[in-house]
Amino acid sequence: MNKKIAALAVAAAVAFVVSLGADEFTKKDQERWEKEYQSVVQKGRGLFTSGALGTNGVACAQCHPNAANTHPETYPKFQKQLGRVIALREMINWCLQQPLEGKPLALDAPDMIALEAYILHERRGVKLEPGKH
Amino acid sequence: MKRILFGLVAAAAFVGAAAMAADATAPPLGLPPVPIPADNPQTPEKIALGKKLFEDKRFSATGQVACATCHEAKKAFTDSPLRTSEGIKQGGKALTGTRNAPTVVNAAYFVTQFWDGRSPSLEDQSLHPFVNPVEMGLKDHQPILKIARSDPAYTKAFEQVFGKKGAAITMNEVTQAIAAFERTQVSGDSPFDRYYFKADQKALTDQQKRGFDLFVNKGRCVSCHVVEQNTAVFTDNRFHNIGVGINNVQNDVPALAGEFLKAKATLAEVDVKVLGDKRTSELGRFAISRNFEGLGGFKTSTLRNVAVTSPYMHDGSIKTLRDVVVHYNNGGVTKEGDPVNDFLSSGIRPLGLTDPEIDDLVAFLEALTSPEYASLPSAARTEVK
Amino acid sequence: MNPFQPNRRDFLRSAAAAAAAGIAPMSLVKLAFADPALDFSFGYISDAHIQHISGTKFVRNWDRGLIRAVAETNMLTPKPDFVVFGGDLGQLGMKQELDHGAEMLSKLRGKLYCVMGEHDYYLDLGEYWSKLFGPHYYSFDHKGVHFVVLNSILTFDDWTFNRWPSAEQRMLEMAGLDNPNGSPFMVGDKQRAWLKADLDKIDKSTPLVVFSHSPLQKLYKGWNFWTDDADEVQALLAPFAKVNVIYGHVHQIQYNQIGNISFNAVMATAWPWPYPNTYAQAEHTMPVLTVPMNRADPFFERDATGWQFIDVQTGRVKLEYNLYNNTNRTVAWNPASGKPEDRAFQDPAKRIPPQVHY
Repeated sequence: MNKKIAALAVAAAVAFVVSLGADEFTKKDQERWEKEYQSVVQKGRGLFTSGALGTNGVACAQCHPNAANTHPETYPKFQKQLGRVIALREMINWCLQQPLEGKPLALDAPDMIALEAYILHERRGVKLEPGKH
Repeated sequence: MKRILFGLVAAAAFVGAAAMAADATAPPLGLPPVPIPADNPQTPEKIALGKKLFEDKRFSATGQVACATCHEAKKAFTDSPLRTSEGIKQGGKALTGTRNAPTVVNAAYFVTQFWDGRSPSLEDQSLHPFVNPVEMGLKDHQPILKIARSDPAYTKAFEQVFGKKGAAITMNEVTQAIAAFERTQVSGDSPFDRYYFKADQKALTDQQKRGFDLFVNKGRCVSCHVVEQNTAVFTDNRFHNIGVGINNVQNDVPALAGEFLKAKATLAEVDVKVLGDKRTSELGRFAISRNFEGLGGFKTSTLRNVAVTSPYMHDGSIKTLRDVVVHYNNGGVTKEGDPVNDFLSSGIRPLGLTDPEIDDLVAFLEALTSPEYASLPSAARTEVK
Repeated sequence: MNPFQPNRRDFLRSAAAAAAAGIAPMSLVKLAFADPALDFSFGYISDAHIQHISGTKFVRNWDRGLIRAVAETNMLTPKPDFVVFGGDLGQLGMKQELDHGAEMLSKLRGKLYCVMGEHDYYLDLGEYWSKLFGPHYYSFDHKGVHFVVLNSILTFDDWTFNRWPSAEQRMLEMAGLDNPNGSPFMVGDKQRAWLKADLDKIDKSTPLVVFSHSPLQKLYKGWNFWTDDADEVQALLAPFAKVNVIYGHVHQIQYNQIGNISFNAVMATAWPWPYPNTYAQAEHTMPVLTVPMNRADPFFERDATGWQFIDVQTGRVKLEYNLYNNTNRTVAWNPASGKPEDRAFQDPAKRIPPQVHY
C-alpha cells in the first residue's frame, strides 16, 4: 500500500515539475519582470529630462513635460518633417538631431529603447490610432 | 479568317490607342495629377492656341517680347543665365525688373503664382507681364485683343475653342488658353523618381543616395521642399524668409513696410511696385499679406530641374547650386558670419554640413532633372554663363 | 491698434485685394469705447528662457525668438505706450543669461516693465534681477488704469531655504516643469498684505490690470500651472468692477473669466507647451473657454511661439497674439457674454484642424 502511495506521489511530483518546465510563469516572475521594465522606464525618464542627449543642453522634457504631445499611439504615421511614414523611434531621432542638435541613436540602442519605454509609459491607457496626424 | 484577323488587329490597335490616350493624361512619374480648374478644361486645340499666344512677340510695346522670351522652351522655360528678366528695350537697352523668371515647368502645381504668390492662378498670372512697364510694357491689354480678334491665325482658333468671335473674345479666353498650354509643361521621371518611386537602385549614384539622406535629415530640406510617400512636388506652396536679399535692407524694413502700406495697393499696382523698386521687392510676401510673418518671404520653388534653371533665388543672386547649399549651411546668410536678419524663417538655421556632405547634397539635386532637360548645362558646381 | 494701422480706405482696398487672392486680412475690428483716454496699448513679451550652453554660446533657438519679438514690437505703429516682459528671461537664472536677455530687451524702444519668473528667481532669489530691473513687485498708474505687478512664483520657505544643498540645485529642481520635487507657486502672505494696502487706496471703479507670471488660478498642479493662494488673491481683486489678469508661464493661449476677473495667458517667445489635458495620466482643470493655439510643427522653431500687444479699451483688455507661421489670434472682451472670447474661433463650428488635433 505504501509503495503505491509513494509511487503516486512520485508520479504527481514528476507531473508537477514537468508542467512547470513549460510555458508557465508565476506571480513572482511577473513582479520581477515588472521591476525590470520600470527600471528601464526610469532610465528613459532620466534621459528624457537630461540635457545631455544633444549638444545644446536642451532636454526633451523642456517641450514635452511628462512626455505630453509626443502622441506615441499614432505611430506609424506619415510624418511631414521626414516626408514618409515612420515609426516612433525615427521621430525620436528627428528630435535628437533637430531641436537638440545632436546625433541620432541606433534604432535598437538601449537608450532608444529606454526613451521609448518612458514615452509609452506616460501615455498608457490611450487607445491606438496609428496613422493619425 | 482574314476578316477575323483584321478585326482582331483593329481591336488591338484600338485598345493600344486607348491605352496611349490614358498614358497621355497620366502624370509623369513622381507627380500627382495636374490640377485643372473646372472652368478651363484641357483640349488639344486650346493648348495649341495657348502655345501660339505664349510665343507671340506682338503682345509687347516694341513687338519684340513674348512670354517665351523670358520663359524659353529650350532653356527649360527660363531665361537662364539672366539674373533678372529683360523686357522691352528702351534707348537701346533692355529694361529689367527685380526678380528672376521662374520656370513654367511644373508651375501648374503651385497654388499661387509669382515669387510672392500675388496671383491666385496661372490664368491671372499671365495678365500681368503684358502691362508691366519693365516686361512687355503695354499700357493695357487692348493691343492683344485687337490682334486676337482680327488676325485670321487666331480668329478661327478662338471660335473653335471657345465658340467666340469679335468683341466676345476677352482676356479671359486669352489667359485660359495660355494657362492650358502651361499646364502641359509638367515633367517628372527624373533619376530620383525612378530611385524613390520605382525602387531602381541603379538610378542614383552612391553619392546621390547620400545626398538624398542629407536632404531628408541633416539638411532639413524636406519640410519645405516636400517629398511624400508616393509623389514629390518639392514645394510646400508657402512663403519663407531664407535670408536672401533682405539682409541688405534690414535697417530699412520698417520704413519700407510703412511706405508700402500707405501707398496704393491694388494687385496690379503691387505688381508694378515690386518689380520697379529693388528695395520694395525685398519685402516679399509682406507686400501681399501685410503680415509680419511674410516679411522678406518668398515662395518655395520646386526643385525639379533646378540644376538647369540657374541662377537661383527671387533675385537671381546665387549662381550655382553649391552656393545655394552653402547659403543654407550658413543658416540664411550668403557669406558665413554675416548677421542674420531678424525676420528669418524659423526653419532656417546653420546646418553643420561638411564639404563632402555639401557635394553629396548638390549631386542629389542634379538627380532631379527630367530626361527632356538632361542635355542642358548644369549649374550645380560651376556658373552657367 | 494694429501694425502700421492702415486707414480705412487702405484696409478696404487691401481687403478686396486679399480677398481676391483668397487670403484673410488682419483683423482691424475695435470695440467702441466710451472714453478715448482709456484706449491705449502696450506690448507684452514673455518667457524668453535664454539658455546658456558654455562660454559665450546660448541656445540659438530661444535667442532668435526674443530677437524677433523685439524687432516686431519695435515696428508697431503707433508706438505702444510701454512694453512688459512677463518673466522667465533666463532658463537657470544665471547672470550671463539675464545679461544676454537684458541686452536683447534693451533694443526695445520706450519704457519696459518687468515681471519676475521662477527661472529668474530661484538661483539667487532675484538679487541680480533687481540690479537689472528693479523691484520684484510694485504698482503704477497709467491713463486712469491701475497696474499691479506681482511676484507670484514664490513658494514655501522650507522648500526655498532648507530643502536644497545649493542654490544651483534649487534652481535646477524648480526648472523642471514636471519635476515631482518642485513646489507650488504662491504670492504669499507678505505680498498679499502689500496688495491689500495698495488696492485699498484705489477707487473700485478704476480698471485694474494685474501682471503675474503664474496664472493666479489653480489649473494644473503637476506642471505648476497653479497659484496656491489664488482664492485669497482673487478675493482681493473681486471688489473691482473691471479686473484683467495677464500671466505668462504656461507658454500657450489660455483665457478664462472668474467673476469680474478676466484671465489671459501670453505666449512664450521660446517654445510652446502642451495643454495639460494632453497628459493622459492626470486630472486637471483647464479653462473651458480657451480655444487652443494651433499644434506646432516642430520644424519651424517659432511655431506656437509669439508675442502680443494688448489694447486696453473701456478698462477691458483685447489681446492680439502675434503668432509666427500661424493666423494671428485676437481674444477680446465680449460685453454680450461678459467673457473674453476669440474673435474668429470661439464658435465650435469655426474650429480648424490644428486646434483640435492635439
